[in-house]
Parts: sequence; structure tokens; C-alpha cells
Amino acid sequence: MHYDLIIIGMGLSGLMAAKTAAEAGRKVLIVGKGMGCLTLFSNTIDVLGIPLLAGPETTRLRDGLSQWIQDHPEHPYSKVGLKGIEEGLSLFTSLFHPPYSFQTIGDENCFLPTGAGTMRPTYLIPDTMVAGAFGKEKKGLIVGFKGFRDFYAGYVAGPLNWRGIALSLPETPGQEISATALSRWMEKEVFRKKIGQEIKKNLSGETCVGFPAILGMNDPIKVKRDLEEKIGVEVFEIPTLPPSIPGMRIYNRFKEWLIRKGVTFLLGHSVAKVSIKNKRCEGVYVFNPPVSNFYSADRFILATGRFIGGGLMADRERISEPIFNLPVSQPGSQEEWFGKSFFDEHPIHRMGILTDSSFRPIDETGEPILENVLLAGTILSGHHCLDEKSREGIEIATGYWAAKRVLEQRV
Amino acid sequence: MKLQTEVLIIGGGATGAGILRDLSLRGIPSLLIEKGDFLSGASGRNHGLLHSGGRYVVSDPEAARECIAENRILRKIAPHCIEETDGLFVSLPEDGLDFRDRFIQACEETPLPAHLLSRDEALSLEPGLNPDLLGAVKVPDGAIDPFELVLANAKDAEAHGAKFLLHTEITSLLVDGDKVKTVFAKGLLHGEEYLIEAAYIINATGAWADQLLKLAGLHIAMALSKGSMLIANQRLTHRVINRCRPPSDGDIIVPNHTVSILGTTSVRLEDAENFEVTPREVSLLIRETSKMLPAIEETRFIRAYAGIRPLFQSGEKGDDRAISRGFVLIDHEKRDGIMNLITITGGKLVTFRLMAEKASDLLCRKMGINVSCATHLNPLPGAEKPSGLKDRLKTLCKVETLCDCELVRREEVEEVWREGKLKNLQDILHRTRLAKGTCQGGFCVYRLLGVLNELGLTEGNPNKILKGFLEERWKGIRPVLWGASVREEELIESIYKGIFNLTPTHPSPLEVEG
Repeated sequence: MHYDLIIIGMGLSGLMAAKTAAEAGRKVLIVGKGMGCLTLFSNTIDVLGIPLLAGPETTRLRDGLSQWIQDHPEHPYSKVGLKGIEEGLSLFTSLFHPPYSFQTIGDENCFLPTGAGTMRPTYLIPDTMVAGAFGKEKKGLIVGFKGFRDFYAGYVAGPLNWRGIALSLPETPGQEISATALSRWMEKEVFRKKIGQEIKKNLSGETCVGFPAILGMNDPIKVKRDLEEKIGVEVFEIPTLPPSIPGMRIYNRFKEWLIRKGVTFLLGHSVAKVSIKNKRCEGVYVFNPPVSNFYSADRFILATGRFIGGGLMADRERISEPIFNLPVSQPGSQEEWFGKSFFDEHPIHRMGILTDSSFRPIDETGEPILENVLLAGTILSGHHCLDEKSREGIEIATGYWAAKRVLEQRV
Repeated sequence: MKLQTEVLIIGGGATGAGILRDLSLRGIPSLLIEKGDFLSGASGRNHGLLHSGGRYVVSDPEAARECIAENRILRKIAPHCIEETDGLFVSLPEDGLDFRDRFIQACEETPLPAHLLSRDEALSLEPGLNPDLLGAVKVPDGAIDPFELVLANAKDAEAHGAKFLLHTEITSLLVDGDKVKTVFAKGLLHGEEYLIEAAYIINATGAWADQLLKLAGLHIAMALSKGSMLIANQRLTHRVINRCRPPSDGDIIVPNHTVSILGTTSVRLEDAENFEVTPREVSLLIRETSKMLPAIEETRFIRAYAGIRPLFQSGEKGDDRAISRGFVLIDHEKRDGIMNLITITGGKLVTFRLMAEKASDLLCRKMGINVSCATHLNPLPGAEKPSGLKDRLKTLCKVETLCDCELVRREEVEEVWREGKLKNLQDILHRTRLAKGTCQGGFCVYRLLGVLNELGLTEGNPNKILKGFLEERWKGIRPVLWGASVREEELIESIYKGIFNLTPTHPSPLEVEG
């Protein structure tokens, strides 16, 4: 089978690239071993949560970003540029129609409560979390569930000077009380009625109620509104330990849209081998036991993420990229990869694949190694997405931008 | 607060807890003081080997005899703390068979049950072994859980009337004439001050023995030797695997619970408090142990840690009092003219009971009483229970599991808490398998703090404890971060620095207020 574009990796950057190309009518194949970090951490869309943009004197994100681009010429954001980042973000938000849409609070970073009772800065948030962003000024009740071990209401409520309660769940023999199970139960009217009554009884002057982020997988706004009606106050979601239900919603929405647009969607398969000729990739062998299928394309986007995603691997000596064996910037020997404190900015997180301004992989002289392969997402070098709080922003902006390069036939 | 006791035991390692139990069974009232939790020193930082004595049989037959005798006793009194795995001493081509022949002969003389295996026999028992091996000798080594063992001793002692105070440090020993008259101690968590009057004092502080004696103006010459170990995330073999050569670096692999422990190194140290596993030691351990078990090159490691062996310097005036080269028992009456002070240090985990017996015997002689030891006769609490694996598996689907790697239930943690006297997170981690598995607490510690918070036990700021834990965990993980462990680490960092935004350098506004 021949495609215009084959995308390897099904995280947010791969999905964005697929959306960008499919919208322009290209024939696209996306192949992924798993669902990427989306379903682990991406509850909201972080763009840049550095102190300048997350301090008490908040600034419009746009201004912070343009300063950041000036100061960090090697950062992926600088290759995409402010305009590209904004285009990418609006393409992302365009996929999420109301009622479950993403919004910013005054074009600034806002602070959302977390499962550890801290507040964290983030940029685009789903409607189910908006009430939490204003929670500071309100009096809130945090609701957890007995037996749900990934969220503790009292733990969250303590530092906020709120109150936390843990509700008992109806008997669920043999079933684990997980985030996914809770989100399924939440979609049932009977279940909501039961817990709604229970919460209403427990309210004592609180004007909003925070839940772990499990308010349904398919129609969270319906769940939220129904609970608000039953309880009588605003309801919001609080991100907690993986898996991330809000991340799964994002993934599901992309998947549904892409399949409808005719994108070939290969989940659960990995690329076993690539075929390279004259600095061009001709196609990939996708391992589908017991056979390998060959798919060819004009262009390729590698969006396999970092270590969790399998985009990068580390042995005891060095870091490598397993599919194209691309050179990876090395942060010194193993003992230099990580700082002495857990909370240090570890050098290993800054390395990745070096690219030119079109996100093509380059060698040490700056020459492209492959003419028709582009990189997107966190596998790129030059960022520290964890400490910058820029993971989703980088994924969205670079996924969009790499696909744009392909569309413009710049590579 | 003023405390009075017949005997004050200082140090809550295996030796101290062993003495506490021994004296309690003899009906002698005692109080144990420990500056951390039980097993904070070498007792909690070793490879968990139930020595058969094979390791010493050529170099130190007396120590080997002690080991095999204690090995048999522990199998009887503490079966629940022991995995009867057996052990192999493997000869590789570069080792030749000379040492093996001396080993077999020494085993016969000791005597220590040893069974010669051909190359093929060894490989059929342990298919992962280096296929080039020349042969092996099977001995009754095993694996032992030091935590369960020491805590069972303390529990039994408590049941027989003994007392202990954890997280309490001795601040001074006042010598008046030929006796230590009063002892001052301070609680390290809440600052309580204690004045202790004890007729006798036993110094069982291991690597800290000399530091403690300094408080009484005494000195013994000790050397500190760091031994580093690596934990692999699975059982690599069924049996303990030893290298059949004179004791050296990287010569042992112990399967223990769900993991394997690779050891050890030996590096002289000056400071008993600040030490870490160096990259050189990590490489050395992997290089040497993989000669016996090639798969180690590709194995995932989850932690590196080190313990300190207290070595008593021979050649000084107290040397003749050493009972064996394995451990040393000092009567400070004879050595320094201090009538009521005894020091016991050195030794091995497997001989802790014997050390306790000898120290208690000396004490009884000094007290002029004649009661004999009973620790080798009475099983420890928990010994009557079968392993309980079946029951655990049955209940698992019905209860809240906090730690997925090691299947630790919420109830287990609550039970440990109710049993009492726990002061901090580390105390719980010592008493359960929580955080000992593949993710090293990455997920379950958040859950543990959530549970403790619900029980009202986090003193208002669970995140301070969480950050402390993450830093402690980091020390063990950082030396072995490559391969799959890097993926795990990216996940854990993304949770705590990402989702939970725990960043001490840029705390979020509300975190500061909290």
C-alpha cells in the first residue's frame, strides 16, 4: 500500500500530524504501538508553565512565548514560531466542539488543583475543569471514593483549606475500582443519583464540588451538568495518577475523526524495519505477527516520543533511536544523565534528535540525514518539557508544523 | 523523663534486637534505644543471605561452623523468614578447580553438607548459568528476610516484657568512677529528653560502636567497609549462586522474595553516615556476576544500595577478647575498668542469635546469675503460620491493593500502624514490602500518604513527606538508571513533577501556604 504520509507514533504529536495532513486531503497511515503519553498524563494542554508565566504576576501566554522564543533559539517552539504554535493550538481546539471544548482563562496560564493538593499552571483546559480554576476564591468540597486508590479527597483538600469526603461505593464484587471503571459508572444515571444524594447531604456551605477526573468517558459534560443539578452547586474534575481519563477523551476524539476522514489507523503494531535508499525512506515494515507488512509513502513523520513511548532507548553507555537509528545528542556518560536530587533538571531530558528548521534529522555537520523523514513531538532535542510544563504544547505545535512542511512539499 | 532499667541495650539492629529477646526470655528486664528504626544500619542493608558457612569454609572454619549451626537453628525458630533455596558454588574456567577441591575438603572437615555437581547437573538445576562452568558444589544456603527476622525478635521480646524506644539518640554517657552512671537520650522526632539509669549497658551499635564509646571517653579501633549491592527486578535463579573462589567482589547472587540481590563490593570508608554506590561499583558488580549468569548483562535493575560492615581492627589490646574473627565481644570491665559496659560488634546477620547469646551470657556472669539461653529453643512469633501465599492470593481480588508490584494491601498497612510505635514513613516501609518492587514506590507512596492522611497521621503536610521519600528513593535508583528503568523514571517524574507539580524550587503559591 502506498501513502502520501506515514506517521509513526500515536501520541498527541502523531495525531496532530495526522489531523493536519488528513484535513488537507492527504492519504495518511498512522501506526502506533500504544496510545502514547496522552492517556497517562495529558489531562490539560500545557504550553509553557515557566515561572514568568506561572507566578503571581501572570502574563498573557503569547507574550511569554515570544520572549521564550527569542531566548531559546534551539527550542522546538523557536522552529515552529509563534504563529505556527497558535495555528497548531487552534487546529487542536477546533476538533473539540462544545459542549466538551477546551478553553483558556483570559489567554493566561491558570492554576488547577492536583491530586496532591497542590496547584499547577496549565493553559488549555476542558470545560469539566473550569470551575476548579476559580476554586481558590470559593469554598469547595472534594469528593473521593472508598477503595479508589488513586485519589484521596482529604489529601487534596487539606492544603486548600477545603473539606474532603470519601464516598462508599455500591458492592462491586471482583471489580477493581479504577479510574476507567469509575468513569463508566459515572455515565449511569442510577449511579449519579446515588452519589448525588450522598454529596448533597454532606454539603455544608460549599459552593463547588471537586471530583477526581473520572466524570465519564464519552459525554463528560452531560455527567457534569446532571451532577450539578443533583447536588445544586458547580462540579469540576481534578487530574490525578495515571491513567488519565481526560487524555483518553482526547485520544478517542482524534481516533474517531481520523478514521472518519479515511486515515488508516494501525494501533498495537510496531515498526520492525525501515527501507532506506539514497537518503530517502521508501517504506516501513509493520510487524503484525506472524507476518510483516510493507507500507510505502512519499514522506514519513517520526513521532515516537521519548523513553516511555519507546522513541528513545538507553543502554548503559548511550542513548539511541531504535527505528531509524538517528543520532541522538548525548548528555555525557550514564552518571551525568541525572542530577543528584530528584528535583534537579536532569540533563537526559534535554537531549533528543537534532533537526534542521524543517524538523529533518541532521548529522553533526548540520546536513539532513534523511530527506523525507521529519520528527515531531518530545523526541526532538532542545526542550525540557517536564520542567518547562510544555509537553502538550510541543506535541501539538511540532506535530502540526511537521505535517505542514509535508503539505507545502518543503521536504 | 526519667527511665530506669536493669539493662540498657543501645542499637536496634539484629544484634540489639537479638539481645533484647534473649534477655527477655531469661527474665532480665531491658530497654532498647535506637536512633532510627529497627534495622537502620547494616542489618537492613545486606544481601539477605542465610549463610551455610560455605563462603568462609576455607578461610575461616570457625566462622563457617558458627554459620552452619545458626543456619540450622534459624530454619527451626524462624521458618517464616527463610526461603530454603540451597546454594551453588560455581567454578568458572578462569577459577580452575584447585579452590573447589580445597572447598570440598574444608566442608568435610567442618563438617558442612556439600554435594559435588557436574557441569551438566549444575546446568539442569540452573539453566541460566554460564554454560562454560566447570562444575558446582551444592550447599544449604538460603535467603532470609532481615526485616521480618529482626521485627519478630523485637515482637517476641516485647511480649516477654522488654521495652524499646525508637528514633531516640543517646546524647551522653556519664561515667562516675568505674561505672557508667547515667545516660541521656533525646527523641529525634519530637525532642523528648530522657535520663536513663541502667545497671548495665550493652553497646550493640555496629558501625557506630566506637562513636558511642567516645561518649564514655573510650575508644576501640574500628574500620568501616562499605559493601554495595544491586537489586534486579526478578528472581534470576532458584538458588543462591556463589563463585567458587576466595571471597572477592561480585561473587554472589541471592534470590529473595520477588527480586534478586547481587553483591558485593568492599570499600574502606571514613564516615558511617554519608556514602553512596559509585558507578565503578555498579559496573564491577554487573561485570563479575554476569560471568556466572550471563543474562545479568541484560537484566533490569531497580535499585542500588550499600551497607557498612563494622570491622574490628585486630592487633589492638582488646583483640584477645574476640570470640571469633566473625564478631567481637568486649567486656569493658577487663579492658577499661568500666564495670557495667559491654560492646558487641561485627559478625553476620546469620550469627546474630549466637552473638546475642554470648553477650547475654557475659552479662549474666557479670550480674552473678545463672540462667541459660532459650532463644534457640523457642520459635519466633509468626513461625507457626504457613507462608500465607494462598490466603493472600484469595483475598487480593476483594481488597484495596496499595502496591501493585508487591501486592501490599491497605489493611496490611493499617494493621502495621495499629501495632504501633511507628513514627514515620520509613517505619512502614521497613515493615511491609511496600515500595520494594519494580516501581520502587512510584505509585504506592502517593497512595500510602493518602491512606495515612485519612488516618490523620501525616501531621498536616503529606507533600513534605512525599518529597523526602522521593529524594531517598532517588539515591538508590540513580546509579542504575538505564534501559527500562529510564522509562519508569520518566513516568514517575511526569507524575510527581508534572501532574502533581511538586517542585521545591518553584513551589506553587498554595503549596507554600499549605
